[in-house]
Amino acid sequence: MKRRIRSQNLGGARAIVLHRPHPTVQALERQLGAIGLVVEQHWPDLPPSAIAADFIFFDADLGHDQQFPWEDGNPPMPMIALIGSEAPGRIEWALNAGADAQLLKPVGDGGAFSALLTARAAFEARQALADEIEALRRRLDQRQTVVRAVAMMMSLGKTEDEAYGQLRQMAMAWRISFEAAAERLVAAQGGPRAVDAADD
Amino acid sequence: MKRRIDLGLLYSRYGSYSLMSEACRTGVLTAVAEVNGDPAMDIRFVPVERDPGGNIDRYAPLCDEILNESGARHVLGCVTSWSRKEVIPTLERARATLWYVVPYEGFEASDHVVYTHACPNQHLLPLLGWTFGQYGKRGYLTGSNYIWGWEMNRLAREVITEAGGEVMGERYLPIGSTDIRRMIEEIRAARPDFILNNLIGQTQYLFLQAYADLGREDPHFGPATCPILSCNLTECELPAIGPAAEGLIAAGPYFRGGTDGAQPGRFGSSHEAAGHAAVWMLARLLNQQPGAETLPVSALLANHGTAETGIDPRTHHTVLPVLIGQVHDGRFKVRKDFGRVAGDPYLTRGRDHAMAAPKLRVAK
Repeated sequence: MKRRIRSQNLGGARAIVLHRPHPTVQALERQLGAIGLVVEQHWPDLPPSAIAADFIFFDADLGHDQQFPWEDGNPPMPMIALIGSEAPGRIEWALNAGADAQLLKPVGDGGAFSALLTARAAFEARQALADEIEALRRRLDQRQTVVRAVAMMMSLGKTEDEAYGQLRQMAMAWRISFEAAAERLVAAQGGPRAVDAADD
Repeated sequence: MKRRIDLGLLYSRYGSYSLMSEACRTGVLTAVAEVNGDPAMDIRFVPVERDPGGNIDRYAPLCDEILNESGARHVLGCVTSWSRKEVIPTLERARATLWYVVPYEGFEASDHVVYTHACPNQHLLPLLGWTFGQYGKRGYLTGSNYIWGWEMNRLAREVITEAGGEVMGERYLPIGSTDIRRMIEEIRAARPDFILNNLIGQTQYLFLQAYADLGREDPHFGPATCPILSCNLTECELPAIGPAAEGLIAAGPYFRGGTDGAQPGRFGSSHEAAGHAAVWMLARLLNQQPGAETLPVSALLANHGTAETGIDPRTHHTVLPVLIGQVHDGRFKVRKDFGRVAGDPYLTRGRDHAMAAPKLRVAK
């Protein structure tokens, strides 16, 4: 997949730095301020308003799961790990916490801008995948419903082709999707005749 | 008794962009002489100069040499963005500062650099916005193969596309390349409304000459219907371009003979003016402050507001006039004046084509 990073406007975006007061935080705040973000520093707890932040930078050295007020590993915004100790256990924890990008400590004069763009691109890709998986899952569930609806009609003496044909006609008449028509049919439970009768 | 303060100079006096280096250096040395001769200033700058000779790999070692072998903590230098990025780690280690006095592509705000020439909200965006209205929105993008051209054209592509225009082509040549034939042929075929020229040095001079020749064959390719636009072309390069410069359009903070500021017409080009301004900004930050020359620039700026220094302490960018000029009879004539605009390297204020700066006292 080829990504096009538009140099979107980060001006006014809200970033939270979850890290104890430290020169690294100052250096990071300077960089983020120059890029145009509004920065807050918190430690050890995130405020309830963190849920609405645009980016979260979190300490991968001293951080733990209970600091994040959302489902484990599923943050609702891009997350950037601030990594001091490159120990495998800490990197694993940062990944499981949902890190979309990382920045090595000590933070100096650069790195924040590329971490922001990388994290946002990774987060958006993650969101798009989750949405696509959700849509596919829904269609998979509905396929079972279609099979049940067709089976119901076949039990009333129609061939498979006729059952599909009738389902398609119903969907068109009701102006809903094929899958939704099947769902309605199964929910009515009375089979196609009962639905037809109710519709007349 | 004046305090002696070493001042680093890191300009390539030969190589493919030496004309720009010389212009910057002239402005810098003019200001150094003025500061040194000014009885109101208690400082005397002593230039410590190294010449990388246009070799990219010489910048960081020579910058290091200036910082190690003298007391200099401020360096004026670098013309290409590539060389600027090369020296930043060296500056960071020594807590030193580069005063960078040429236009660049933005998206940088180092704590160790002060940017005294224009960034895209002060050159590219107003230039494109104005061009769309005057000539059209179909552009051909050119550049030398390094970060200036790549980033300028990337931003131009975004702006053109957002404005409903079209990019008719985009081509890069290595720095110093003379092989401009293919580019000219593509332009002939594409017939754009304008050409954005991010070529530098010899390649640019040959390209401009070849385009002027093309214009004699086909009148579409002339300043009236398909002008060439630049964001870094100044008077310092006009002699190298010759008559082919006629009709070229450039955005910049100053054109020779301009009336901005207290010293109309004083400088040969905006490169010279920006170099001169940088030295004076630094001199005012250090004047009557013994020991200030050892402080990092962030500490110097923390004590002064933007209105006083002209430098934003958050981004280290400056407030500059935004002008569009066109070469007419061998000199730039201002065609549009957008007033003074504060540098916004990350375009946090959006992409409106020109925004007025907050009212500031004009630093003399």
